[in-house]
Amino acid sequence: MAGNIYSVGQINSYIKNMFEQDFMLKKISIRGEVSNCKYHSTGHIYFSLKDESGVINCVMFASDRKNISFHMEEGHKVIVTGKVSVYTRDGSYQLYAGKITLDGLGQLYLKYEFLRNELEEMGMFSEEYKRPIPRFASKIGIVTASTGAAVRDIIQISKRRNPYVQLVLYPALVQGEGAKESIVRGIQKLDSLNLDVIIVGRGGGSIEDLWAFNEEIVARAIFNCNTPVISAVGHETDTTIADWVADFRAPTPSAAAEIAVFEYDKAAEALNLAKLQLDGLINKFITENKNMYSQYMLRLKYISPMQNYENQKKRYEELLKKTNRCIKQKINSDKNRLSVMAEKLELLSPVKKISSGFSYVTYNDAALVSVKQVNENDNIRIRVSDGEINALVVSKNEIKRENI
Amino acid sequence: MASGNKKKSDDEKSKTNGMLLEETFTQLELLIENLENQDVSLEEAFELYKNGIGLLKSCKEKIDEVEKKVLVLNEVGDLDEF
Repeated sequence: MAGNIYSVGQINSYIKNMFEQDFMLKKISIRGEVSNCKYHSTGHIYFSLKDESGVINCVMFASDRKNISFHMEEGHKVIVTGKVSVYTRDGSYQLYAGKITLDGLGQLYLKYEFLRNELEEMGMFSEEYKRPIPRFASKIGIVTASTGAAVRDIIQISKRRNPYVQLVLYPALVQGEGAKESIVRGIQKLDSLNLDVIIVGRGGGSIEDLWAFNEEIVARAIFNCNTPVISAVGHETDTTIADWVADFRAPTPSAAAEIAVFEYDKAAEALNLAKLQLDGLINKFITENKNMYSQYMLRLKYISPMQNYENQKKRYEELLKKTNRCIKQKINSDKNRLSVMAEKLELLSPVKKISSGFSYVTYNDAALVSVKQVNENDNIRIRVSDGEINALVVSKNEIKRENI
Repeated sequence: MASGNKKKSDDEKSKTNGMLLEETFTQLELLIENLENQDVSLEEAFELYKNGIGLLKSCKEKIDEVEKKVLVLNEVGDLDEF
């Protein structure tokens, strides 16, 4: 063959043929990081895969686009499956991608996003399906591993807040093979026990450890659970599908216990307060009504006919007193006048005059004041202070008296 | 489509103690609110008070004060102490 001269096209075709016949290069999966990614207007995607040691050019034809379920970006860690062949025009080999998937964590994240969007569109996260968490749960279910921090934290907090609350644990596998089925069984089993609330969760871990809580059957079991569900997966920063679909998302298992278990002391205090309030209010009613009663009594008394009668009686008594006083005064003053007059009269009394030597002389019952009234032998009567004297006129003698 | 799966059971007998306690507390709060209303007549006030004391009593009864052991479901579905 030496000495033969070939065209460029011939040699490139020859090399291409070698690639095409290679069993391994026909279907190969390559892991790498995406760079120089271009979505061409024809629908083809041109990009390179690189790792620490090198670079390989890649293309995905528009006809294969159905085999990529995400928008590829610079830096994505991907696994590309396809064949390595030669582009004869440029004399270069490249990877013809038949299928591109995200690698590792990227893959999980993608699944998470996909399921989250799907369930959200179904309305499974919507507020209208969220049931309120009861304030006074008396029976609380827990779906979590029977060993580990989560169950320990929940029990400890529950005992501290309210030792009278009944906890029922379903010991579930929370990671690895069979975890999702175990969690679903736990939710369904506890749901059938007529509890007040169910806590579903586990302690912190890697995204792979928490993965069971991103599974659709777990999400559906939570959604279909008749008992309100509090999700409590990992740490505050971990948000799983279970958190989205649960009736309440607690950032940690401890927080879930704080929410689910009511504080006994506070409830007892609330009851005492209610009793005080009731007593206070009813006493207020009674006092108010008592006051009103006495007010009305007073008013009634004031306007009653009895009161009127009392007033009149009082007035009558006063008038009577006044009248009596006036009469007494009148009597007294008349008495005085009388005694004054009696004294005066006494002084003027003829009896008095008689007793001091004067006497009263009558003839034929008429006062004898002139000698001309009688003749000799006429019978006259002489009254003195202690009696009468009948006398005969012996003689009479007229005396002329000068008026002084 | 999802709503069909969601069942809400409000049957009286399926109510748990916790639900009843919640209801009783809510009733008690409402009752106190009513009693605070000055428009209530004395007869009504006495009636409310009587009911309030009844609710208090039933609250106290529902918060039963027996300390509970944590129960754990075993493989057969029975409850054991944890």
